[in-house]
Amino acid sequence: MKKFITFLGGLFVLMASSPLTVFAKEAGTEAVAASVPLWMCIPFGGLLLCIAVLPLIKGEWWEKYQPVIVAVWAVLFIVPFTLKYGVGFSAETVMECVFNDYLTFIVLLFGLFCVAGNITLEGDFAGSPRINVALLAFGTILASCIGTTGASMLLVRPVIKMNKWRRRKRHLMVFFIFLVSNMGGCLTPIGDPPLLMGFMRGVPFFWSLHLFGILIFNMVILLTVFYFVDRRAYRKDVARGLKPDISKPGTDVRIDGAHNLFFVVLIVGAVILSGMLPSVPAFQDASGHPLGIHVIGEVTLSFASIIEMAVILLAAFLSFKTTKEEIRIRNHFNWGPIKEVAVLFIGIFITMQPALLLLKAHGANLGLSKPFEMFWVTGALSSFLDNTPTYLVFLTTAGTLGFTHGMVTTVGTISNRMLTAISCGAVFMGANTYIGNAPNFMVKAISDENGVRMPTFFGYIVWSQIFLVPVFLIDTLVFFL
Amino acid sequence: MKDNRKKCLAIAERIYDLDVEVYRCVGSSLGRAFTSDRRTCVENLVNLMIESPKGHLLRSELAMISNMARTIRKKEDRSRLMREYDNILKEIATLPTSFGRVDIVNEKRARLNTANLHQKFKKDDHMVICIGRTQGSAGNDIGFALADSLKVNYYDVEIFNEVLKRLEVEREEAYGIHDHVAVDQNQVVMDNKYQKGFEATHGIRRRLKEFNRYHGLTKADALFFYLSDLICQKAREEDFIVMGRCADVILANNHIPHVSIFITAPFEQRVNRIMEVQGLTYKQAARQLKLLDKKHERYFRHYTGLKWGAAENYDICFNSASYGIEESVEIIERMLNQHLHTGS
Repeated sequence: MKKFITFLGGLFVLMASSPLTVFAKEAGTEAVAASVPLWMCIPFGGLLLCIAVLPLIKGEWWEKYQPVIVAVWAVLFIVPFTLKYGVGFSAETVMECVFNDYLTFIVLLFGLFCVAGNITLEGDFAGSPRINVALLAFGTILASCIGTTGASMLLVRPVIKMNKWRRRKRHLMVFFIFLVSNMGGCLTPIGDPPLLMGFMRGVPFFWSLHLFGILIFNMVILLTVFYFVDRRAYRKDVARGLKPDISKPGTDVRIDGAHNLFFVVLIVGAVILSGMLPSVPAFQDASGHPLGIHVIGEVTLSFASIIEMAVILLAAFLSFKTTKEEIRIRNHFNWGPIKEVAVLFIGIFITMQPALLLLKAHGANLGLSKPFEMFWVTGALSSFLDNTPTYLVFLTTAGTLGFTHGMVTTVGTISNRMLTAISCGAVFMGANTYIGNAPNFMVKAISDENGVRMPTFFGYIVWSQIFLVPVFLIDTLVFFL
Repeated sequence: MKDNRKKCLAIAERIYDLDVEVYRCVGSSLGRAFTSDRRTCVENLVNLMIESPKGHLLRSELAMISNMARTIRKKEDRSRLMREYDNILKEIATLPTSFGRVDIVNEKRARLNTANLHQKFKKDDHMVICIGRTQGSAGNDIGFALADSLKVNYYDVEIFNEVLKRLEVEREEAYGIHDHVAVDQNQVVMDNKYQKGFEATHGIRRRLKEFNRYHGLTKADALFFYLSDLICQKAREEDFIVMGRCADVILANNHIPHVSIFITAPFEQRVNRIMEVQGLTYKQAARQLKLLDKKHERYFRHYTGLKWGAAENYDICFNSASYGIEESVEIIERMLNQHLHTGS
């Protein structure tokens, strides 16, 4: 332990004297962002380390004190940050991420979690390799229609239910995260928030359909691999004597609480609306900034976000009011997963700020000019940071590269290949870690809650390194070189 | 050792009951730790405690139950079940040092050993003999003669198929399904899977019907599951001899006492026999043997994960060429009589 503390201390001193701290030459926010020392990312790394390690070594303690640990890491970021940059900038930074990033993020998750919890798919399809492949393929396409979060919340329970007779099913949920919770979101701006940001910056709504070929290519590879992995696990289960209940001839599938699908559509509509309203003149002030409620300094909670959240919360409320409790009981609905995600992600969002500030300050100076570079760097950073700002940083960078042909956006002209690489990197590589995309951790939490032993934080990264990275390498060779 | 097993059994029963109760209080079918029948789950738990040194597996099972218990809405139920969970944990902690010790004897296997037949079969258990055999080794003849001699039922694939077909029709009637296409299809489904065209299904409509009929499973898998249920049900009702069908593994998985025998003979011997019985040339007979053995092997590996014909997977392995049909029957019968005398 002493050695570990000494090591951390050494690392702290090293980073404090890092040349990255000598960037502050300009005045204003950008200059402050540029001068953020690398050691300020330690709380972010520490929190991730806690999420990865503590459930393994002190599971019950971690469950009990999660909010305290998250608060400690948040304070460990806020105090030094305040001491270095003053109360004003620190408060603005924290409030900005809480009100404009975290709040909309968690309300959307909460809404979809509530509504999906009121829909139950009753049926006796037996989870087998071909059924699972079909479910994952359906979920992947559905993700582009109602968003990765919506599709994940809607399908996670039916998938678990159909496979409840099986013992080996963690791989199923891992591939579910790969495909439904991430890759499937690449076809429309509804699918994944980064693409919605692109749409708001002038990328046409249906431009993302260009990615259809890449999505199908990846789906074919991953679903084929999944089929063989699942078949192996299925055979092991059968050999162990496990079998589904197929005593009744014929399959009877029905959806209880189907009216809640309307609320899902309502939520998706609210998300699209929140992306479009800021560009409507009625929602802008004279200088073109979005109108809203002033929070602190330059932080404003826009009316578009307020409308979005109000609609989502209304949908969740109506969903609860109009659905019998019996359906939630059958779904084993409880607040555990959303509570866990809400607690962990407020910490992640706050402690992630130095890393995002550094990215914003230095992203354009990384010298990235080729599609494959954009694909990998956008992807690698999206694996750990919020993929929306990461996408925006590299979209803006690409806009400054001086392309004369391609997509004309508000940040400049960007070649189609470059835009494809940035979009794919941001959307696909969110699947690399549990924190890469919003639904990943929710799927993990719901699966854990329902008897699937999900891999640990690092365990999941091993899965993604084995199955996803080779696919991304093939993508690079085929599409981005 | 015996005391330890008894104690483990009692704990396993309590763990299973706890899971049932937690599941009842939660009110959802999702997330239950034990989804098989009571006997199988309890046996598995006991084996986990006695045979496996991997105590963490047992801990994981318990952790899953406690995780689920913590989500129970009613406070009284929750605290009652968590108390029981704590008590079980304490009980496990008091298990003697033999807990998790790896013995050279595989208790489960030893109880299937012919020398231990009197320990294996209890008063209410039925005598089930599972015979696996290579093509041309006269395994079917030995099985049939043995059944005749022991005056017990004899089941091979054709007989099972007939029974399954009848059950399928009965089940349809019970659920009020009168689907002529499906009923006709039964004929195809229940045909011997080794016959040509077993896997062939024509027409999208028929494929869809089949998909719906077998809950999205393949026809072969659905048939295997039906057969598993049927074999287990029969084993609880009567004495019998069953040929192939992975019956030994199915019964072992369901903790139903049985004796497994594998009969084979040298390749040349088997080819000669096939040539004689079916009037084939050497080349034809050899090709047929290789083909059928390969199919048997694939089928066995697919559903059991084990190697077909590997001696370690059976209680008795026989070279029928060394004894002939009659003497083989006599040897097996002698071993079983030994049990009958000791047992009665």
